[in-house]
Amino acid sequence: MGGLNLIQLLNGLTFASLLFIVASGFTLIFGLLRIVNLAHGALYLFGGYIGYTVAGSTGNFFLGVLASMLCVALMGLLLDEGLLRFVRGFDLRQVLLTLGVAFVLNDLALVLWGGDTFSVPIPEMLRGATTIGGVFYPKYRIFVLLLGVAVFAALWLMLNRTRLGALIRAGVDDAEMVEAMGINIRRVFLATFMLGASLAGLGGVVGGAFLTLYPTADSEILVFSLAVVIIGGRGSLVGAAVGSLLVGLLNTIGQVMFPELAYFVIFGPMAAILAFRPLGLFGRAV
Amino acid sequence: MLEIKDVQSFYGEALVLNGVTMNVKPGEVVALLGRNGMGKTTLIRSIMCLAQPQVRAGSIKWNGEELLGLKPHGVAQRKIALVPQGRRLFPSLTVTEHLTMIKPTSVKEGWTAEKIFDMFPRLAERRSHRGNQLSGGERQMLAVGRALMIDPEVVLMDEPSEGLAPVMVQHLETIIAELGKTGLGILLVEQNLYSALAVCDRVYVMETGRIVHEASAAEVRTDHSSLMKYLVVQ
Repeated sequence: MGGLNLIQLLNGLTFASLLFIVASGFTLIFGLLRIVNLAHGALYLFGGYIGYTVAGSTGNFFLGVLASMLCVALMGLLLDEGLLRFVRGFDLRQVLLTLGVAFVLNDLALVLWGGDTFSVPIPEMLRGATTIGGVFYPKYRIFVLLLGVAVFAALWLMLNRTRLGALIRAGVDDAEMVEAMGINIRRVFLATFMLGASLAGLGGVVGGAFLTLYPTADSEILVFSLAVVIIGGRGSLVGAAVGSLLVGLLNTIGQVMFPELAYFVIFGPMAAILAFRPLGLFGRAV
Repeated sequence: MLEIKDVQSFYGEALVLNGVTMNVKPGEVVALLGRNGMGKTTLIRSIMCLAQPQVRAGSIKWNGEELLGLKPHGVAQRKIALVPQGRRLFPSLTVTEHLTMIKPTSVKEGWTAEKIFDMFPRLAERRSHRGNQLSGGERQMLAVGRALMIDPEVVLMDEPSEGLAPVMVQHLETIIAELGKTGLGILLVEQNLYSALAVCDRVYVMETGRIVHEASAAEVRTDHSSLMKYLVVQ
């Protein structure tokens, strides 16, 4: 059993940052549309593969990010308008449907990209390491950390300072009432679904560069995202941030200090939090 | 003009409205009275085409156009506004956001947030408070203000005086009367006859899903004994 050092702490924080990017999309969809989108992990993996392909063939990482976010947002559009529309209002059917889509996408990814492990090529300027707090640390992981902070800031501003954000928050509170005020809440839902999906795509590319992409990466990130959203409270951006930090750090602590109990270190505290706050740390009854 | 004809509404298999016929003319304040559970809110929800109840017969026409079959946002876009029972403000939105979510602040036509704040100075003082941080009276003011932001031609108010202190009820009556004078049609659901009489032009009484009495407010003011049997809990 070893102690925790700065590098491990930074590893925890960068993992938390990636988790936040993925889980913020998950919580947006969960909070507003009341859909537990179990295909979110598959969207992450697809986003990663698309980013890998585009970044690899164009040599531009950021083009890969853009392509991935656009494609996955489009997949979100198809999923919501093409399939989920037929099971609206039926929670269990929605969950089962997204689970089915997750399996289909996973197999599709296996056909398209095979079972090998890939890593999204990172841009030249983010390669190598730099000194931070007296330790050598990969530049790319610092980039991920900053990106998570930037995504949080952008989402926070969008949700709290724009009209679309006000509509989304109002929709989380009382969708029927928003509808009765002349707003087509379906369009707001769809925009949110696509935004949430594109965040999974972003996470896929970003995560695919340091966690690598392989056929079961989707379910691993999905389980972590679920833990983040359950701990933080559904639909809460701050909850997703705090949940990500907790899960990211607990994961690192678990792996370093109690490797044989790594999962328990995350899900044990999660169960304890749920016992006292069934709606999560920042969740509200609706 | 809002024309409701022979409307039958169901919750599941339960028939809640059994052939309701009534109308609201432009600029008219119409009160819909009745005890709890008689179908008043169901009628309001039917007019707004909300997901429940299911309207299986009859018609609800607005200036000659059938509303049934529209989505609620389509109804609201036709300038029919709702002040729902229990206010239903948004706990995560500030007072200002409740008003500006419908209409960007750049739009200066019709009702604007500033005009609402002029009408309800109390709300102006609370503009950055959230929906769940307001007093009962302030909540009702905001619910009315929010409804006005769609520049309605008719407002459906479901028990706006419920749970308010008498002085707030009076304030609300003044507002409703003033709004009525601007040419706004108002369908006011009330349990309290006297509160309704203070502002309305016409009265309908509802009992077990039907309109059982219709009278002008003037008639009721001179003699309301015939109404009381429907309104007093025996």
